[in-house]
Amino acid sequence: MSKHSALNTFGRSGNPAFTRNFDNTGALPQTERMTLDGAVNKTAILLSLCFAGAFIGWNIPALAMPSLIIGTILAFVTIFRNPSKAGTTAPFYAGFEGVALGGITVFAEAQYPGIGIQAIGLTFGILASLLFCYKSGIIKPTENFRLMIFSATMGIALLYLVSFIMSFFGSGIGFIHSNGLFGIGFSLFVVGIAALNLVLDFDFIEEGADQGLPKYMEWYGAFSLMVTLIWLYIEILRLLMKLRSR
Amino acid sequence: MNAIFFSILAIFSLFVFMNLGKIKASKKQMDRDDRIKWGNRRRTSFFKNKTTIVEGKAEEVKDDKDK
Repeated sequence: MSKHSALNTFGRSGNPAFTRNFDNTGALPQTERMTLDGAVNKTAILLSLCFAGAFIGWNIPALAMPSLIIGTILAFVTIFRNPSKAGTTAPFYAGFEGVALGGITVFAEAQYPGIGIQAIGLTFGILASLLFCYKSGIIKPTENFRLMIFSATMGIALLYLVSFIMSFFGSGIGFIHSNGLFGIGFSLFVVGIAALNLVLDFDFIEEGADQGLPKYMEWYGAFSLMVTLIWLYIEILRLLMKLRSR
Repeated sequence: MNAIFFSILAIFSLFVFMNLGKIKASKKQMDRDDRIKWGNRRRTSFFKNKTTIVEGKAEEVKDDKDK
């Protein structure tokens, strides 16, 4: 028994994709198993689609909001309905989110020129440095680490949801969007949590390849990495905007 | 200048990701007892705690039977 009562009650993972697929890996032939190469290549495909979408969004910013809504629906479908169809839904998700990011970046660039390339550089810089830290064993994800990151991510999601609902009534949680010290501190915290989510994604992909999960989990691993990268990019953009507006 | 620096950073980082991502993590990372167990172990551990029941007629075993 684990010493953590939450783990004993709810099991190791709440993600349905993980729990469904880690138990039945024995009978798969080698060619139908998840590999590190496959997951990295599929992440590259999704990134290319995201950039292609961003090109469209950059030129037609009006498409940003509908694309963001469609992308979010696709993300929920992939996570909760059918992870085995990630090979179909993830490329569409990357494309639509790319269009949304293109539109958001145009808006940010209009206010603060040069901010887009800074956010892209920092996002990929964090990706590469955390990958190095993970592969070399400098950062070691454990169950406690995962519980901490998962709780913080859920807390941030809840805060954003409450703020979103309050915005319909002409109110909101002020410090989230403020450019004061507290607002910047909050943004730094969120960027940190989003970055540490990348470590969990790396560990999931590494473990999945090690266990020989079904091939479609390469798409799912690439998809989860894309979700985190897109979140990280948006948070870095928000942080840079707050810093530049001071 | 700023744009060139961040462009190079982005391209270099993507290059690192594409190459380093395909290499297996170090033994220091993989051979640990406290690794995250991504599969659902709840069912397994639940059954591990159950007693094994063997069907059939119960028979009392007496140690001094053979003596």
